[in-house]
Amino acid sequence: MKSRAPLGADLVIPVLALGFAAYFFIDIADLAWEAKANGVLIGTALVALIVVQLARMGRQLARGEGSLHADPLWQPADVTRKRLGMVALSAAFIAALPWLGLTLSLWLAMLLALLIMGVRKRATLIWLPLALAAAVFVLFIVVLESDFPHGPIEKLLS
Amino acid sequence: MSGQFLLDQFAANFGLWWVIWPAILLGIIIGILPGFSPQNTLIMLLPLTLAMPVERAFAFMVSLYCANHLSGGIPAILVRIPGSGGAAATTLDGYPMTQKGQAQQALVLSFVASVAGGLITTLATLALLPWLSQIGLYLRSVEMVVVMLFGLTLIAVIAAKDTLKALIAGFFGLLIGVIGTDHIYNAPRATFGFLELYDGVPLVAALIGLFAVSEALVMIEEKLIVSKEGRERARQTQWADTLDGLRISLRKWWHIVWTSFVGLFIGIVPGAGASIAAFVAYQQSRLWSKTPELYGTGIPEGVIAPEAANNGVTSGSLVPMLALGVPGGTTSAVMMIVLQYHGMVMGPRLFQTDPGLAYGVFVAMAVAYIFMIFTILPLARYMARIVLIETTYLAPVIILITIVAAFSERQYLFDMGLALVFGIIGYIAHKTNYHVTAMLIGIILGPLFERYLVRALRISEGDVTVLFSSTLGNVLWALLALSLALPYLRKPRSQPAANGR
Repeated sequence: MKSRAPLGADLVIPVLALGFAAYFFIDIADLAWEAKANGVLIGTALVALIVVQLARMGRQLARGEGSLHADPLWQPADVTRKRLGMVALSAAFIAALPWLGLTLSLWLAMLLALLIMGVRKRATLIWLPLALAAAVFVLFIVVLESDFPHGPIEKLLS
Repeated sequence: MSGQFLLDQFAANFGLWWVIWPAILLGIIIGILPGFSPQNTLIMLLPLTLAMPVERAFAFMVSLYCANHLSGGIPAILVRIPGSGGAAATTLDGYPMTQKGQAQQALVLSFVASVAGGLITTLATLALLPWLSQIGLYLRSVEMVVVMLFGLTLIAVIAAKDTLKALIAGFFGLLIGVIGTDHIYNAPRATFGFLELYDGVPLVAALIGLFAVSEALVMIEEKLIVSKEGRERARQTQWADTLDGLRISLRKWWHIVWTSFVGLFIGIVPGAGASIAAFVAYQQSRLWSKTPELYGTGIPEGVIAPEAANNGVTSGSLVPMLALGVPGGTTSAVMMIVLQYHGMVMGPRLFQTDPGLAYGVFVAMAVAYIFMIFTILPLARYMARIVLIETTYLAPVIILITIVAAFSERQYLFDMGLALVFGIIGYIAHKTNYHVTAMLIGIILGPLFERYLVRALRISEGDVTVLFSSTLGNVLWALLALSLALPYLRKPRSQPAANGR
């Protein structure tokens, strides 16, 4: 039996694009024509394309060739847990950076990332985050003098 | 310009090996790391280049610039993360080659195509400089709009698996590219209230998110990024694979030549840049190929075309700066600042007042390419082993390092968050075949397209027919339509033959 296309997953990008186009049109409504000509042109074309895509998906649904499930985004389940963990960890890393500074927050984030990915070797958990944090410290803080927030490590070594 | 003059220039530039070599190594490193652009590095090194004599400063800058264009393809091939926008097209066939266990060959193809393409176009530029400098004068806003649209049609043609989805991704990217203040009234548009978006969407954050973060999120599904057979091949990397890559490159010499010229001519157009050149070359290569259906599956031509073209751009982008005083891109703008600091006046008179500098720039570039091939070719064998690192380690390193790198373009923490957001969008697009490359090209082209479109419309007081008012523009329109239609016209012819086989 032929498997049905997961159209629910296929809907995410068009819905995001449509939402953004709607926000764009509302936001530029009061601007001069020069400021909105390009956006209107592109936005209209985008909406037209999405309408065609929705019609195509509607036809597939009507023929029974597709369903509204979104499995490709969630499968396999064990990997999804790791994936969500990595996204949440990255967000937490960015949020903690102003307080902990680049070196310490990166060391911590890398350690937790390895744990999320299932690494349990003690040696790897020690040297890899340490090596990464040290390399980033040398490159960004010492050599390039980037404006990353300074935390306890940077203050100690400055 | 006599032969003796050129020979003297070459001798002088070979004598600058101690400037060129460190610049090449630096350029290779920053090219590999997404987020490190040559312009930012040159800006950071401005105190150094301003203190150097102008010839040395230029040799340093062009070497770094060319090496950067070359090495952007390395992560694109090995882990499907382009080091720069110009290498985005290299992922299309470079990464599939890696998955098949041909990473070493793909790297060698990329290096040879880059160096040969860069060298050929640099020498051609030296010979044709007085004439090439005139091309930019013929391209006004109307023609530029069509050139940009030509770039956009590639989105549909390249992503032939599902043209509609690719177009949606491309136009979504284009609309994202319009975020920020407009060029005339500085009115903010769709910035979600973030001041950080007033200057538009930072390209580095978009590039990192759409390619690096999303790819890392996808790659954790497998233990290694290569297939089982590829794993065995990668474990047994030999010098023979490097020689094999060289052999394939030699067989495809004509492909390298013509696609590098695509890069040269696009590079001359101010603002067009390496990303557009690489995609145009890839699309044209596929268009004229006898086996277009193999593109995207990991074939040598798919690596050669974008790499030769994005290095062909290097010499082309300096032409408008030297000949017209109009920098072709950000990197050449930084170079122009250094030249102006030294009291050089750009424009056609430069070739009379200081021919040593005007031609010397391209000689330095040619010398840099010669040094480069001997530096990087032996490394291919060792670079190819990166694919043997388990994704358990590779994915966290890629995600965290590239998110950190997103900070480097503008030094905003906001950009790191934005890279993560683009990473999630890129992941969804990747999983549902909405072609992240098309989206990135849209984001890159968005601001440029708007600039030229609004300029053309203002000149005509809002009359849209101005877009069809020039002969050159109309020729470009016809070529654009042909480019879109040709794959469909070729299909019926090739179908019966295929069936017959």
